[in-house]
Amino acid sequence: MHEGKVLAYKRINRDLLSGLFENQLRYWAIVMFLGLVVLVAVVAAGFMVNRGVGVTGLNRPVFWGFFITNFVFWIGISHAGVMLSAILRLSKAEWRRPATRAAEVLTIFSLMTAVLMPFIHTGRPWRLMYWVFPYDFQRGIWPDIRSPLVWDPSAVNTYLISSILFVFIALIPDLAVIRDRSSGIRRIAYSVLSLGWRGTPRQWKLQAIAGILLSALILPVFVSVHSIVSWDFGMAVSVSSWHSTIFAPYFVIGAVHSGVSGVVTVMILMRWLFRWEEYVRKEHIDALARLLIVIAIAWFYFFAMEFIFGIYGQEGDELATRTLQIFGEPWGWWFLTFIITAFFFPVPLWLFRNVRRSFLLMTITTISVNIGMWLERFLIIVPGLARKQIFTQSWHTYAPSPIEIAIVVGTFALVLMLFLLFAKVFPLIPIFDIKEGQVLKDEIKIGRRKVPAVIREE
Amino acid sequence: MPNLPPEQDKVQVSVEGRELSSLMVTREVSRDFFAITPAYRRVLLILGVVFLAGIIAIILRFVDGFGVSERAQWGYYSAMFAFLLITAGSAPLVAVAFRLTKNHWRRPFSRISELYAVVGLLSLLWFLPLMALLPPIEGRKTLWVSSNFVGAPLWWDLFAVMFLVICGLGLLVLSAIPDAALLARTGDGGVRSRVLGAVAGFWRGTDAQWRWHRLGLTALGAFYFMLLIMVQTLINVDFVMSLVPGWKDSIMPAHQALAGLQTALGCVLVGAFILRATGRYRDLIPMESFWAISKILLALSLLWGYFWFAGLITFWYGRTPVEQNVLRTFMFESYRVPFLLNFFLSFLVPFVLLMWNPVRKSVIGPTIAGASVIVGAFFMTVRLYVPAFGIEDITSHGLATVPLPIVPDVLDVFIILGGLAGAGLIYMLAIKIIPIMSIWEIKEGLLYQRVRPLLRSRYLVLGKPD
Repeated sequence: MHEGKVLAYKRINRDLLSGLFENQLRYWAIVMFLGLVVLVAVVAAGFMVNRGVGVTGLNRPVFWGFFITNFVFWIGISHAGVMLSAILRLSKAEWRRPATRAAEVLTIFSLMTAVLMPFIHTGRPWRLMYWVFPYDFQRGIWPDIRSPLVWDPSAVNTYLISSILFVFIALIPDLAVIRDRSSGIRRIAYSVLSLGWRGTPRQWKLQAIAGILLSALILPVFVSVHSIVSWDFGMAVSVSSWHSTIFAPYFVIGAVHSGVSGVVTVMILMRWLFRWEEYVRKEHIDALARLLIVIAIAWFYFFAMEFIFGIYGQEGDELATRTLQIFGEPWGWWFLTFIITAFFFPVPLWLFRNVRRSFLLMTITTISVNIGMWLERFLIIVPGLARKQIFTQSWHTYAPSPIEIAIVVGTFALVLMLFLLFAKVFPLIPIFDIKEGQVLKDEIKIGRRKVPAVIREE
Repeated sequence: MPNLPPEQDKVQVSVEGRELSSLMVTREVSRDFFAITPAYRRVLLILGVVFLAGIIAIILRFVDGFGVSERAQWGYYSAMFAFLLITAGSAPLVAVAFRLTKNHWRRPFSRISELYAVVGLLSLLWFLPLMALLPPIEGRKTLWVSSNFVGAPLWWDLFAVMFLVICGLGLLVLSAIPDAALLARTGDGGVRSRVLGAVAGFWRGTDAQWRWHRLGLTALGAFYFMLLIMVQTLINVDFVMSLVPGWKDSIMPAHQALAGLQTALGCVLVGAFILRATGRYRDLIPMESFWAISKILLALSLLWGYFWFAGLITFWYGRTPVEQNVLRTFMFESYRVPFLLNFFLSFLVPFVLLMWNPVRKSVIGPTIAGASVIVGAFFMTVRLYVPAFGIEDITSHGLATVPLPIVPDVLDVFIILGGLAGAGLIYMLAIKIIPIMSIWEIKEGLLYQRVRPLLRSRYLVLGKPD
């Protein structure tokens, strides 16, 4: 038997549009709280801009700290959108249906937040304009287009634009549903957004083709983004522990690990907040957890390879950095926390069916993964820089200031708040996808048992 | 699996295919398994002769010189070993991986892939001379941290290869038990029937037996997967990277493992195509299975290109003298030709072919792509192992000069052909001991698949048991 009930289309419309047409107290309470945290972060950022980066813990030789770690982390989270949506769409995994929109939206907001971080990191964000329009022609200061730091904005912006397009194309049929249930100015807005959708066979066909094409086209962009972020580090020969050929796939698989975990957390939150018990079911979380086991093991293999080949060369400075990473104060504890929370705590638990089908345990384990993955990025960036170049003569440690902590915490609140505000305007679960899933459901009778089955899409 | 009367369990599992029943499956596989045709004998003879020529070439190579100081002339021999490990060692993963993910299209491919485990015996024998050719690890970079590591690297490498072969054979035997029991009952009463009966006589197909069978296959399969990746890493580092002074490339073992997965699909595709081309099992190996596996092959080929580029660009930007010399040796100067062949056949050809759905949705398209990645993998092992074996000063600080290319001589050609023929010979012998179609899996597939109408068309309905 299939786990979910067969629901009437009217009920699907009503349930999945409840976020748009109903006002819940707890929803607004959460949004207000998140808004408050964001406000604190904005004040902290304003203070930093006013006083200068001296209020942060950044100092010679560690010039990349919490902000850049956070940049890499949010870029990583953004990978869940494409991973789940495009790959599962192409592979026609049935359980993808309630997860795709949330994953795509998480991509957009986490990317936008990631883009914020380098701006904040500069301390004088407006000076980035000088970088685009060089102010001192006599001295010949131009951006070096061969630098991965230049590839970064190109890749991230391409990914952001294509992700928005991806979400929009998938939203069109749902926008038409909202249009047909709205009135006044709201109706006009949704009419414009739904681009005259009537649900004709030709429109469905075009929408399906556009979805498949975008899925296929966005995949290289998705891989390139985090690869390029990894090359920000990997191309630097001077920082020991950074110059490694495996960095690109290691970063990408790490991003998928944290991104998919993030999607699971968000899906469970959605289920609780909007009471979508019929749509986000145990089978979906179970399937995502199975996927996470594979991703986590692959990630661990790449982690092991990166680490083993770090010490393989037996080079003094590399060994010293690795020692600092694992045994140095306070990073030794951070390293232990990272490896336990990212792998050794969640993965063995996911091997048990009861854990995979428990919303509470899945929430805990997926949050644990993201704690670990945030620390992983920190441990890649900071210890390497702390021992940067043998001739620096000033090895120094790094400790984040309260300003940095406030801004980083604020980014988490920002992503969550934007996500919830999105739910007020657009459905977070694709309505047409859920209905299509119901059409494709079937059963096969074997003896006296009925086995759930699905009609394979061409 | 329960055997229903033939008139009750006739089902269509392919939109364009004909109806099948479990009895038809048993009859077809059993007939083919017990028949030893003149064509089969001729193929065995040809493979045997070429294999023998290869063995003679190896003996002549021994006479030429055998030892650490003569390892340069054994480069192609070592490349052949790596090729056997990459292809035959990885091939059983097709059955393992897609059994874990419960894909129905894998069913006709499962046994074709598992049977490659028998080629592991040849890999193991092929490995033994290499033990005497590998120099000690003192003074060079090694995975084993210290040269005092007991048994490192040779004995650990030998154990690793041996364990992999045993594990692969275990997987094959375990998977074949239900089929062996069936064929022992339905067979011709000859020697093979009696042997199969003795091996699988205990099998009654009870619920408990099926449960243990499934559990065993899952556990052993998952273990094999991890073991293979580890073995590939060990062998590639000990026999290639650590022979090149100063070369530190963390993606190389992963790239080799990925090439192995890619080649595994190629081996299965070519095997399935040959079966169909010889007029057998056309209904049991539907086009849909080729279509499905081709998508995975496309994805792996793209990953191949990505891994290669990730390694290249990091070295390209690093610009240290060692990195430049490594690139010039393995890609751009000395071994440019095998590199280009490797790049075209492992990445460009499958990518350009398989990006088109009409090509994927055919039998010949994925097969050509599969054959291409197999040949590409061969050139990959040549461009890595031959230069690594040819480097003289392996204890210097870094690769100071680009070594000259080593061109294969007549003996090398015969060694390579002999290795390929040996692999084919062992495989061909094995298909008369264990059936090349997994009868129980195909019958299970008949239970879980139906072709049903929806609106104005007919679609495949796939059962999704827990």
